[in-house]
Amino acid sequence: MSATETMRRLQTTRGFYGNYIKKFYADAHKAKEEKRPVAWVASTFPVEMLQAIDVIPVWPENYASVCAARQVSVRLCEAAERENFSRDLCSYARCVLGSIFGEKDLPEGGMPKPDFLLASTGACDTHFKWFQVASRRLKRPLFLLDIPYDTTGSELEGYQVRHYVAQLEGLVSFLEEQTGRKFEMNRLKEVERLSDRTSKLWLEIQDCRKAIPTPMGARDAFSAVFFMLCVPGTEMAVEFYRRLRDELKERVENKIGVIEDERYRLIWDNLPMWFNLRFFDYLNSLGAVIVAETFSHVWAGNLDISKPLESLARKYLPNFANAVAERRIDLILRVVREWSVDGVILPTNWGCRMMSIGMTILKNTVHERLGVPSLIIDVDSSDWRSYNEAHVKTQVEAFIEMLSKRNQREA
Amino acid sequence: MADAYCPDNMCSFCRSCFDTTLKGDYDYLDGYVASNSCDNRGKMYDLWRHHTKLPYIHLINTPHTNTEKAQKFFHDELVRFKESLEKAFRTPISDQSLRKATRVYNENRALLKKVYDLRRKDPSLLSGVEALEIVLSSALTPKEEHNRLLGQLLHEVSGRSNLPKNGVRLLVSGSVIDDAELLRIVEAAGGSVVADDLCTGSRYFWDLVDSDAKPLHAIARRYLDKVPCPFTYQSEDRFKRVMDMAKRYDVEGAIILVLKFCDTHMFDAPLLKAELESSGLSVLYLEWEHAMTGIAQLRTRIEAFIEMIKGVS
Repeated sequence: MSATETMRRLQTTRGFYGNYIKKFYADAHKAKEEKRPVAWVASTFPVEMLQAIDVIPVWPENYASVCAARQVSVRLCEAAERENFSRDLCSYARCVLGSIFGEKDLPEGGMPKPDFLLASTGACDTHFKWFQVASRRLKRPLFLLDIPYDTTGSELEGYQVRHYVAQLEGLVSFLEEQTGRKFEMNRLKEVERLSDRTSKLWLEIQDCRKAIPTPMGARDAFSAVFFMLCVPGTEMAVEFYRRLRDELKERVENKIGVIEDERYRLIWDNLPMWFNLRFFDYLNSLGAVIVAETFSHVWAGNLDISKPLESLARKYLPNFANAVAERRIDLILRVVREWSVDGVILPTNWGCRMMSIGMTILKNTVHERLGVPSLIIDVDSSDWRSYNEAHVKTQVEAFIEMLSKRNQREA
Repeated sequence: MADAYCPDNMCSFCRSCFDTTLKGDYDYLDGYVASNSCDNRGKMYDLWRHHTKLPYIHLINTPHTNTEKAQKFFHDELVRFKESLEKAFRTPISDQSLRKATRVYNENRALLKKVYDLRRKDPSLLSGVEALEIVLSSALTPKEEHNRLLGQLLHEVSGRSNLPKNGVRLLVSGSVIDDAELLRIVEAAGGSVVADDLCTGSRYFWDLVDSDAKPLHAIARRYLDKVPCPFTYQSEDRFKRVMDMAKRYDVEGAIILVLKFCDTHMFDAPLLKAELESSGLSVLYLEWEHAMTGIAQLRTRIEAFIEMIKGVS
């Protein structure tokens, strides 16, 4: 049986690229033509603030994943390298910079040129440095949300939240200045209400995956997370997740798994190789299924609309990339326990320090506390030149064999 | 030893510091103070906490902008740091002692600037290797002692005469260079490093703390106002300062030497290169590893670069 036949794709996510991603970029280009304000936004930026003032968000990171899926990311990375941007830099960054350095034949016609750019220090320094280069090249202003590093990894400190809110107040002034519009707090509350609904549904979807067999794997999750990430405060997101949740609930009731013979339940940390999402089908063919991604868990967050700015701080500050290791460890430990996980896959990312340094701490802690093994593999999100598939597959197969022996012992 | 915990794709300087600790060479230390002033360093804070046995480890949350809000945040952060030190070491830190330290450090900075002035002369009274070693020694020596030594040194060096004619006058820009070997290669190839924009060079000491203002306010302001490091939003300001320095020290070319995986520098480097080139300077951009692997190739490229400038002039 081939890998794809092993896997039962969901109805709701079928045709995702054509139905949603293509439309998203077409809408953004149309908005640009109609002279509505378009902003490039880096992930972990509180997008609800833009939606509240009708600025169209476009996400360079999402665009890099699109370029990787369409197999053009390396060509764009090379264009950036020709302009002296090091091959050791984030492949998202190189890919997107390459796309503004005069390359032709870009997927979805490229990203519409922004009126301004918005970045945050909330995930990494790479984000805003790359946006700074783009800002200079495109001659458009960049606003940087300068937020504190989360040093506790548990409860946020009051001063950290206050500083985040102060930064949001600066953002309000910037947005008003750029758009010539007035920022309405009531409008923000409306967006937050929808965003909160989106988050709750997304978490319900994750909860459905606790079922054995699990009804959804990583391939669908890495598509569906788009709404959570890019357009959380919209009716479209709520509607899509409601349908997805209902489909999963039905599968759970009827004990239909994403694969027929589920033997190994795994966590996938961080990003996938967007250029090779079939890798998850390959895992499925070994009887392994991804029941949770840390990436899926990190974006959802409750919003208390009685404190619209503070709740954005509480949603976006505790991102594990911007935090001490404990935050990521706690997430993985909780997921391992609640999602009945047998093993954790920890992919590093060649151009990403945040995702590569400290993997041994995660691996050792999960093993010490719960006896669950992890596998560290070296991959890259968009540049397949930094990824050795044969080697990774050998590692994965050895890991699965080890899990199989453990299962036999336990049985 | 660090290889057991550190991936290949990270800063080799951070790795080397951590490795030194694991080997026990820093067993005499009572603590380690970190900062989130780059992704490598921020994440290394986890490794230090989990794998070393230092009794005191603290991270100073460092803003990436220099707005009024950032100034206030950083001041408060320094207050928290001060309180944390006072608690850990059971020693009060008074305004008076902060003022005294500020005075001593400012004196050191002013003396180092005088040392750098000697490099403006043609020929420079100091080699680039000497200048780097002087700044490096400042970071390792008690400041009062270093001030005394700098006084002596200035006296001796100012009297130097009959120096050989300078080689090609160069500015070196980059992150950390804590081993003069790289500059030795440049100077052996016929270059004279007369100016720098390095974390371990001019950026370390160039700006003073305002000794009239309240001490922690003045210190907070100094670290945000200083020649910016690329991890800050103020890259354009840094480019201007480097361009000014290139002019003031009358250089013919610049070498950008960035440690591999130093992301913020790697984003700035192509822009800085273009800026410097637009003012008519020749620029060589190289990446290097702290362990000095691939040094033969670097040497060849440096030699070719210097030959090229000589050929033009």
